[in-house]
Amino acid sequence: MLSHLVVGQTLYFGDSLFYIISFVLLMWIIKIFAWGPVTKMMQDRADKISNDIDSAEKSRTDAASLVEKRQAALANSRSEAQTIVSDAKFNGQQQREQIVTQAQADVQTMKQNAQKDIEQERQDALSDARNDVADLSIEIASKIIQRELKADDQKALIDSYIEGLGKQHES
Amino acid sequence: MSDDPVSTFQFLGLTFSTANVVSGLVVFLLVVAVVFFTSRKLAMKPTKGQNFLEWLIDFTNGILKGSIPAGDVGKFGLWGFTLFLFLFLSNEIGLFIQVATRSGATIMRSPTSDPIATLTFSLMTMMIAQFAGVWKLGYKAHFANYMKPFVFWLPISIFEEFTNFLTLGLRIFGVIFSGEMLLGVIWNLAVSHGIVTMIIALPIEMAWQGFSAFLGAIQAFVFVTLSSVYISQKLELEE
Repeated sequence: MLSHLVVGQTLYFGDSLFYIISFVLLMWIIKIFAWGPVTKMMQDRADKISNDIDSAEKSRTDAASLVEKRQAALANSRSEAQTIVSDAKFNGQQQREQIVTQAQADVQTMKQNAQKDIEQERQDALSDARNDVADLSIEIASKIIQRELKADDQKALIDSYIEGLGKQHES
Repeated sequence: MSDDPVSTFQFLGLTFSTANVVSGLVVFLLVVAVVFFTSRKLAMKPTKGQNFLEWLIDFTNGILKGSIPAGDVGKFGLWGFTLFLFLFLSNEIGLFIQVATRSGATIMRSPTSDPIATLTFSLMTMMIAQFAGVWKLGYKAHFANYMKPFVFWLPISIFEEFTNFLTLGLRIFGVIFSGEMLLGVIWNLAVSHGIVTMIIALPIEMAWQGFSAFLGAIQAFVFVTLSSVYISQKLELEE
């Protein structure tokens, strides 16, 4: 029917069948060897890229939140350090005051003790001197008046004299 | 060329042209080789061959996307890719390899320089368009499309199917056939008067070969583009 229709070329309908069969076969071969694997790979790549973009976005927000957390922790630790320092200052102040008052009290008692000791020494020295003076005056008196006096009477005499001396000295 | 004797053989009661079968088979093997060797060692990071293959797939998908709705492109991707690769290699192979028997019967040339090959592909496109229309719209809506915008349009619509079929097939055949014929004419000029005409004909031959290579690529592109247009027309309801 279509033979010798186009510029004298003869049409062989067997060729038509041959081309249809070979084209379908070719499509099948390409699908198995190339089309299937390559389009799958392209799809995988597209998926991977979109996944990567998503995960990059996620890690970016993670990093931002981490920075925020760090900053909060830093501020927290700074205020903590401040309270620690002020606590230490306060404690030091307290301790210093304690030590100073303690020292003052100590000094006070030591002073008192020293005064007491001095008083004691003075008393001792006075009584010693009194005894010495008594003995000495007895000796002197015995030597002067060449008379034997009873030591006790003499002592009473001396004491009264010394008493008068002490009063005179105090006033 | 049409006066040349044609080598034919009989198989299953059908007449086959040796030239068509041999050159079709060569192109078939070439396509398989190209696709096979570029698709080895597929990786997430594509290397040379895979890059080329992916570019080609993107290219043919791009042609289809130009007219077919985006949701349906995936179903025609393999068909468009195979068609483009087969037609492109068919158009180009005759520019470089032409073999004839001693008696003058061609046995190796571009398969697309024979109308039976191009009309076969054209028919295939028309059938795919019909099937796609029925698949997408259903029988009723598909055949109702022939009576849009009004019932009297029916003969024109049917006639249009035939003209689409013929023009689609004969356009590519005409370009490739004329290209090869002119190559033959230039060759006859080259051998007509010895070495002098040979030197004159050489640049003309080279220029025409380059131009034909360009035309072959364009025709393969145009064939796939028009095929996708014809298919997309069947995929949508006419208003």
